[in-house]
Amino acid sequence: MNFHETFFILLAAIIMIFSVLVVTTDKILRAATYLLFVLLATAGLYYWLQYEFMAAVQVALYAGGIVVLIVFSVLLTHQIHHKLVSITLTRKLLAFGIAGLGALVSIVTIVNYDFNTAPAEAMKVDVRQIGLHLVNTGHNGFALPFEVVSILLLAALIGAITIAKKEESNSDNI
Amino acid sequence: MGLTEILTMSHELALIAALIILLISEIFSDEKSKYKFIPLAFALILGAGVVGLIFGKTGIIFGGMYQNDALRMAMKLILDLATLIVFLQSTEWIKHPHNKNRVLEFYLLVFATLIGMNFMISSGDFLMFYLGLELATIPIAALAAFDRLKNNSAEAGIKLILSSALSTGLLLYGLSMIYGTTGSIYFSEIKELITLNSLSMLGMIFFITGMAFKISLAPFHFWTADVYQGSPIAVTSYLSVVSKGAAIFIFTFVLYNVFGATSAIWTQILVMLSVITMTIGNLFALRQQNLKRFLAYSSIAQAGFIMLGILGQSAIGMGSVIYFLLIYIFSNLGAFGVVAIISAQTGKETIADYRGLYATNPKLSLALMLALFSLAGIPPVAGFFGKLFLFNAAASQGYYWLLFVAVVNATISLYYYLLPVKAMFIEKTDSPIATFKAKPYMALSVAICMVGLVVTGFASVIFEYLVSVSSGL
Amino acid sequence: MLYTISIKYFLILSTLMFFSGVAGFIIRKNLITILMSVELMLNAVNINFLVFNRYLYPDQLQGHFFSLFIVAIAAAEASVAIALIINIYRRFNTIMVNKVDEMKY
Repeated sequence: MNFHETFFILLAAIIMIFSVLVVTTDKILRAATYLLFVLLATAGLYYWLQYEFMAAVQVALYAGGIVVLIVFSVLLTHQIHHKLVSITLTRKLLAFGIAGLGALVSIVTIVNYDFNTAPAEAMKVDVRQIGLHLVNTGHNGFALPFEVVSILLLAALIGAITIAKKEESNSDNI
Repeated sequence: MGLTEILTMSHELALIAALIILLISEIFSDEKSKYKFIPLAFALILGAGVVGLIFGKTGIIFGGMYQNDALRMAMKLILDLATLIVFLQSTEWIKHPHNKNRVLEFYLLVFATLIGMNFMISSGDFLMFYLGLELATIPIAALAAFDRLKNNSAEAGIKLILSSALSTGLLLYGLSMIYGTTGSIYFSEIKELITLNSLSMLGMIFFITGMAFKISLAPFHFWTADVYQGSPIAVTSYLSVVSKGAAIFIFTFVLYNVFGATSAIWTQILVMLSVITMTIGNLFALRQQNLKRFLAYSSIAQAGFIMLGILGQSAIGMGSVIYFLLIYIFSNLGAFGVVAIISAQTGKETIADYRGLYATNPKLSLALMLALFSLAGIPPVAGFFGKLFLFNAAASQGYYWLLFVAVVNATISLYYYLLPVKAMFIEKTDSPIATFKAKPYMALSVAICMVGLVVTGFASVIFEYLVSVSSGL
Repeated sequence: MLYTISIKYFLILSTLMFFSGVAGFIIRKNLITILMSVELMLNAVNINFLVFNRYLYPDQLQGHFFSLFIVAIAAAEASVAIALIINIYRRFNTIMVNKVDEMKY
């Protein structure tokens, strides 16, 4: 077993254990921390796959942005030591039944599927390539989605502000 | 890529220009006079439609990411019209003191979702499809939570965004498998490369599940009723008509033109979904007292009928789906319009409140009756022809037992669509809703719907045109 | 070196991650933890796209860009969702799903 394999097994173990813990732990701030571990380990996985740019984006946006946002909202809406209510057994069984069935079907399909790995010459993925793709208007270019996503971010901003904005009058509803 | 090519997406560009105009007006308007911009929004949506009609042309640009053809242009114009009707209906609600300083935000968010739907309809690959879908969903969650007076509205917003996030997750998981098996995200390439194998089937099933959430097919409909009831009425009608219409259109297109080679599988899934959706929608609609909730379940049932048209798998199938959507827009918005008028005037929303309405407000009662008859599919109202063509499309593929279930369900639906009619025309009460005159904009919106119902019902040329520009498997 | 680990291990890993997200969506009663479950699901999808891209179709970057856009949109979606959650908290003074349920059949 060489370094690469060990590294992968380590990342996979972190992801698996903490993914399950995110959805089962009864302390909400812990769940957020475990989510952070999962997201960072995923960034490691991207690095392993030699998608360095995606790894950086993952750390900056997901781990840095979303988790911080989530932690903020936890602190705004909870006492820190707040315990989550216990979940009824039937609901647990239902959840693990559905998810387990789905996972089983998917895994069986994946294991039995014959993947045709590494047939083509790998493309170099550096920031220059990514930039060129993002402004390319032809086939395999992503200029249009790049523009549309900016409208989406604008709309999300307007939406979030519209909801979260405090009312000027009639404060009894807040 | 030159200017002439960019003009292929003139309709979207017009909408984006409208968004920018609204944004600038928001910046330079003062708090008190924002309601003066309401006519501007009407003008902008009309203008975008006209620009799309005049400058719109067919073509494929951005290396296949964006495509436009006659059917898509027709669908975009239908959505514009529906949005205009929704805008007309929302005037009283948006002028309310609680919303008065947020008028432009409402229009901004609606325009953003409309841009998303347009890009979704015109998408030529799954990335644009996904972006359009999200752009059409995220702002609507903000719109659903727009109402400050009601806690239900906040609840509707969070339920909408979380269930849509779940459905997006399922959909994307499916798309990743499709990408894994075909190596492409472009519709045209996937169409050539997709084969019947276990992984692509699994991907397709996840994709259909995700879309079933979005167009609220049972058993993935659980969020619908709460969201429809809690949202402001203008948003509910927008959600149930415009969003749903756009999603159904692209769903049909993707099934035909991307998953065409695997139709043996998805037709079976659709048959199941259709039966469950029609039945559950009807059974729940039977027991609703709140009219918004009632219309929510009825719209679930209608989606089940639309699946019949998709099963037609031909140009006629697709044409009948679009034609039904057009009629559905007029009849559903007509019904929502009357409910909105009465709700704005009196705040009453249950069927029992409508007792004796014919005696006091005969015009509104007749309009609601016509809209409900159309939803029920009673001849000779337009809805009858819409359903007939859907059934016809399914019959052409030999789904006779499914047709039987559909006819039984249509008969059950007659009963509950007649309940409000019975309340208005036959039942008596001591305290009916007093006579009042509807506000001009809202009355206009209902009038447009009624004219639309008559025109689409009797002008067979519309259906023929839609079929002629549609494409089958 | 890169391909010493079979693609199947990656896919099994992402599948487990995805379905723990699905399970979390069903069992969780707190709106923020539901949001976390959704993030898990989207993250699993991203892994899928990148792994398929690297192992099966390394000559183009479609999967890479798809996951890039998923990350961007997930951030936008999370921000709106959190605005909505805070809005809920202001009204109901709780963010537990079972208490945020005024509408009944």
